[in-house]
Amino acid sequence: MASKFGLAGGIPERKVRPIWDAIDSRQFKNALKHVTTLLAKYPNSPYVLALKALVLERMGKPEEAFSISLNAKDNLFVNDALSIDDLTLSTLQIVFQRIDRLDLATECYEHACGKFPNKMELMMGLFNCYVREYSFVKQQQTAIKMYKLAGEEKYLLWAVCSIQLQVLCGNGGDKLLVLAEGLLKKHAAAHSLHEPEAVMVYISILEQQAKFGDALEILSGKLGSLMMIEVDKLRMQGRLLAQAGDYTAAADIFQKILELCPDDWDCFLHYLGCLLEDGSIWSDEAVNDPVHPPKFISCKVSHLTDEQFDSRISIASAFIRKLQTDAFDNSIRCPYLAIIEIERRKHLRGKGNDDNLMDGIVQYFCRFGHLACFTSNVEMFFEVFTTDKKAELLEKLMTSNNRLSTPPTKTLGLSISLFKIKQQLLLGDMFKSSASDVEVSCVQMFEMYCKNLSLSKDFDPQESMHGEELLSITCNILVQLFWRTKNVGYLVEAIMVLEFGLSIRRYVPQYKILLLHLYCHFGALSVAHEWYKSLDIKNILMESMLHHILPQMLSSPLWAELNSLLKDYLKFMDDHFRESADLTYLAYHHKNYSKIVEFVQFKDRLQHSSQYLVARVETPILQLKQNADNIEEEEGILQRMKCGTDFLELSNEVGSKSLTLNEDLETRPWWTPTLEKNYLLGPFEGISYCPREILTKERETSLKRGIEKKSLLPRMIYLSIQSASSSIKEHVEVNGSVTPDITLELKILLERFAQFLGFSLGEAIEVVKGFSNGERSVVSDSNLIDWLNFTVFLNAWNLSSHELVHPDRNERKPIIWNILDSLLEKYILEKIRTTEPQLCSPWSDIQLLMQLVTEPLAWHGLVIQSCLRSCLPSNKKKKKSGSVYQSSSNLAHAITDSVQQLSLVLEDVIKWISEWNRRSEDENMEGILFLLRKDGHDDGPGRVFHILETFISSMNNAEVGDRIYHSLKSWSPADVARKIVRGKLKVLIEFSAICESKLKLLQSLKQKVAQL
Amino acid sequence: MTTIRRFCCNDLLRFSSVNLDHLTETFNMSFYMTYLARWPDYFHVAQGPGNQIMGYIMGKVEGQGESWHGHVTAVTVAPEYRRQQLAKKLMNLLENVSDNIDKAYFVDLFVRASNAPAIKMYEKLGYVIYRRVLRYYSGEEDGLDMRKALSRDVEKKSIIPLKRPITPDELEYD
Ligand SMILES: CC(C)(COP(=O)(O)OP(=O)(O)OC[C@H]1O[C@@H](n2cnc3c(N)ncnc32)[C@H](O)[C@@H]1OP(=O)(O)O)[C@@H](O)C(=O)NCCC(=O)NCCS
Repeated sequence: MASKFGLAGGIPERKVRPIWDAIDSRQFKNALKHVTTLLAKYPNSPYVLALKALVLERMGKPEEAFSISLNAKDNLFVNDALSIDDLTLSTLQIVFQRIDRLDLATECYEHACGKFPNKMELMMGLFNCYVREYSFVKQQQTAIKMYKLAGEEKYLLWAVCSIQLQVLCGNGGDKLLVLAEGLLKKHAAAHSLHEPEAVMVYISILEQQAKFGDALEILSGKLGSLMMIEVDKLRMQGRLLAQAGDYTAAADIFQKILELCPDDWDCFLHYLGCLLEDGSIWSDEAVNDPVHPPKFISCKVSHLTDEQFDSRISIASAFIRKLQTDAFDNSIRCPYLAIIEIERRKHLRGKGNDDNLMDGIVQYFCRFGHLACFTSNVEMFFEVFTTDKKAELLEKLMTSNNRLSTPPTKTLGLSISLFKIKQQLLLGDMFKSSASDVEVSCVQMFEMYCKNLSLSKDFDPQESMHGEELLSITCNILVQLFWRTKNVGYLVEAIMVLEFGLSIRRYVPQYKILLLHLYCHFGALSVAHEWYKSLDIKNILMESMLHHILPQMLSSPLWAELNSLLKDYLKFMDDHFRESADLTYLAYHHKNYSKIVEFVQFKDRLQHSSQYLVARVETPILQLKQNADNIEEEEGILQRMKCGTDFLELSNEVGSKSLTLNEDLETRPWWTPTLEKNYLLGPFEGISYCPREILTKERETSLKRGIEKKSLLPRMIYLSIQSASSSIKEHVEVNGSVTPDITLELKILLERFAQFLGFSLGEAIEVVKGFSNGERSVVSDSNLIDWLNFTVFLNAWNLSSHELVHPDRNERKPIIWNILDSLLEKYILEKIRTTEPQLCSPWSDIQLLMQLVTEPLAWHGLVIQSCLRSCLPSNKKKKKSGSVYQSSSNLAHAITDSVQQLSLVLEDVIKWISEWNRRSEDENMEGILFLLRKDGHDDGPGRVFHILETFISSMNNAEVGDRIYHSLKSWSPADVARKIVRGKLKVLIEFSAICESKLKLLQSLKQKVAQL
Repeated sequence: MTTIRRFCCNDLLRFSSVNLDHLTETFNMSFYMTYLARWPDYFHVAQGPGNQIMGYIMGKVEGQGESWHGHVTAVTVAPEYRRQQLAKKLMNLLENVSDNIDKAYFVDLFVRASNAPAIKMYEKLGYVIYRRVLRYYSGEEDGLDMRKALSRDVEKKSIIPLKRPITPDELEYD
């Protein structure tokens, strides 16, 4: 360690060591003491000052740290060369980085490198600064200087990678690649290359310029021998040959790889593609999103002549047959799937033979049908069959299944696959068949699960059990039955089945995900959130998995939980953005050059994540919701977010950005394939297990609009408060403090907001006015909140603007205000009147109700508070007493009216919520269980549940094993029902508390108005 | 049926079905990226026919002198692809890199003492329990340090089990 301290700034090491020791052991007070002592002796030493800044920053005093570090920097610049050394600079760098002023650190290094142009150590520091700032051009320049100085391969590669970054992540043109190539060529000719990663970068530079021949030459030459993993090298070679159009040679290479790795499916596809001279795999690779690669292979109809095609196909078949016979290990699947793929290609060519294709699938089924991945392996082949042929295939599969004699675990696997295949093949059939037929298969699946539990009785609880998938399948069918019948009993039954499964084994993430969505749909959001937490989703998993819960939480009153979800997620992302460059530098340092572009691209990808932007916008909005009942607090929060201007900027920018969608939608249940879609809310349509239509582009556009619109809110709220308070001040204050800017800006934003509603501002105002005559055809559930928000802001604007001519100037309340109050009243009361306070009432209406109260009503409340405050004779205004009261009397009336009206509405809501609580928990629980009781009649939910109960009461521990026996004995459906009840009530109680708080606010306003 | 290739950042957004497993830790970003930046040849992913991620292995090579060794930091396979020799393939790959490219003496790994399936697998792959590390996992559960000698350790000295368990602070590397 000693050398680490050196003799920085001419200060002996022993004096500095205690400071570093104290910092390392987080004794910052102690460190500060030492620094202060040392500073007395060296008051101008940049190093000691930098140390002090560092300590202060670590103590949580960034402002002080900043000013001291500036001080250090100034001294560094004025002092002579003595104080410039890497230790001083790197200490300052740490401080500047921690307070987000990378630019200042860069300035220091630039200055130092100017003074000592040939010091490698300093240049390395400077390069690092540029890496942190993503200044690719300057990186390149610095690296070139270092390369010239030291002549090392490493620095050359740093320069080359910096060039690559300009092209791939910056705005550098492709021509720069020629430069990079030239640099590498020259160096390689003189000194060769020594790092495999350098060769990889060299090849990628050539590949990017489509110089495949040159790249191949490198790879097959001496440099190529640096690549140690043979298969990787061959893959690269095959790819380059194929891209160069030399399909024959490429096919040979892929054949070689297959001989080494007969189970490499990708390689087989490449092999076949090359034989058939179809390069679409390569060109699509560039187009496809690497995070959502296509599930199915793309291939185009071959341009080969019939004879050529036939001969290539027979070459492929012969080779694959050979792989089959050579296989030493009977778990190798690729050659068997390959045979089917070859048949499919024949089919595409019009030379197919359905029987051969079917035989291939049947064979594959006999060998691998018991595996969980069987269905997903073969599903891509079904598309070529007609409906009749599909039925025939199913017939064949069933026959061969009956003929197979396998041990019980395999039999189980085969049955599951067969069932899944049936669903796939007869897609749509499920919907045609009667609900009771569907129910029969549902019962079968569940029975199969129970019957086979004994197979796993001796399993370690850590281990997946046989047939776990059956419960997911059962649940999926039950949900489908709900969709068909709208009988919530099926949802409850699905919940029971999954909870039952989780009591047998706690660790089945698929069950948890299904459950969390079911609970959400049911309105028991707090239980959903519990299950979400039990999935332990953290770090990067938040980026791909948060979508399961976030949208539902955003419109819920569970603010504390929502807050911590958002906070954790943003912290993770922001931490990554902060540290990512340092990790990139690590790749430079360890000469793993190929990772450099990868890291920078990944950071860019996350920075453009739609979910990240949503979270950034929703976080302030949540804060604003939480504090809307106290205008002073709200204003404090708005101040801290620069009165919403940052978000306005975001709103302006987001349209031109391309967003990335990083959610793992594959993990979502069938009924809600994307965040925006929930089939269960609509009528039964007949889609199930559908291919997930991930309409990425469409989603991106609508997400962008959503973010654009949402990020206007903080600013509009701020301006509305201002506007409302100037409505009265204009009568009071003569010094012109009314800010026409505010009115104008608010108007501009209203114009933008109106556009999101599909209207010009003028038109939108007319629509709002029309509301008073009951003309509300433009409003739907999906834009209700937007329309009300718009009306809130319009009203606020109207208070300070003279633009709208008011025939009603002398009425108690401006007309827009009147309309707004009645709209709020109407919609809120409508929701509570149409929604019975019953546990099974649809939740989506309640969700809207909660949004009405926590968004438009809350913002309107702020406008009222602001109006009232400006009416109140504050100390300052008292001097001009009299005038305030008189000119504000109209406004006071308006406030009184409004407060009165909204109080009544809130009282109704609160009363409505208390209705929910009228029944005891046991009654509620019984109510839920009642949905599952058959009591003689045959249709409707409850059959699966009945089997479940019978199973629990009749099982014995010899059969299912002690562990399962005991966990099931202590499990009770009544507890689950209680959990549903409690979960739902918890959300409502939170909501009630929000309403109470708003009511209290209104009452206090009432009192204040009375004092006027 | 698998293509095994180097792990890359984008795979982090696609490995949720693997990482939802309760025994598979989702580390912070700097952890993954440090491995990628330093030991890219020790970080491989297995991908199936529909392009889905089936499992992955991450590891590193470190140590001085005769304790220069490969280390398996994590190996995991999504439940639906288990018992198809996938973990074995991934382990073999890492062992080969350690043995042939880096000329390490042995490969080692830590496993929860309660993770019976994994221990069985490692034993099947030729690993032996070298020593027990007390309360290695969050100060609660013991870890087993398992080792397998590579060709360079001709006398298999590296895997002679220690007699007594050790505590985490006695570990040479973390
Ligand atoms: C442990 C794990 C990686 C095994 O993956 P896998 O791909 O199923 O393992 P393989 O098929 O390659 O197994 C190879 C051999 O190991 C043994 N083995 C693997 N899993 C086993 C189990 N659950 N029980 C008993 N032996 C097992 C078997 O002998 C197997 O060969 P066989 O199937 O021919 O009998 C997987 O279960 C997993 O991801 N677990 C969760 C994560 C974890 O615990 N990782 C290890 C800690 S870092």
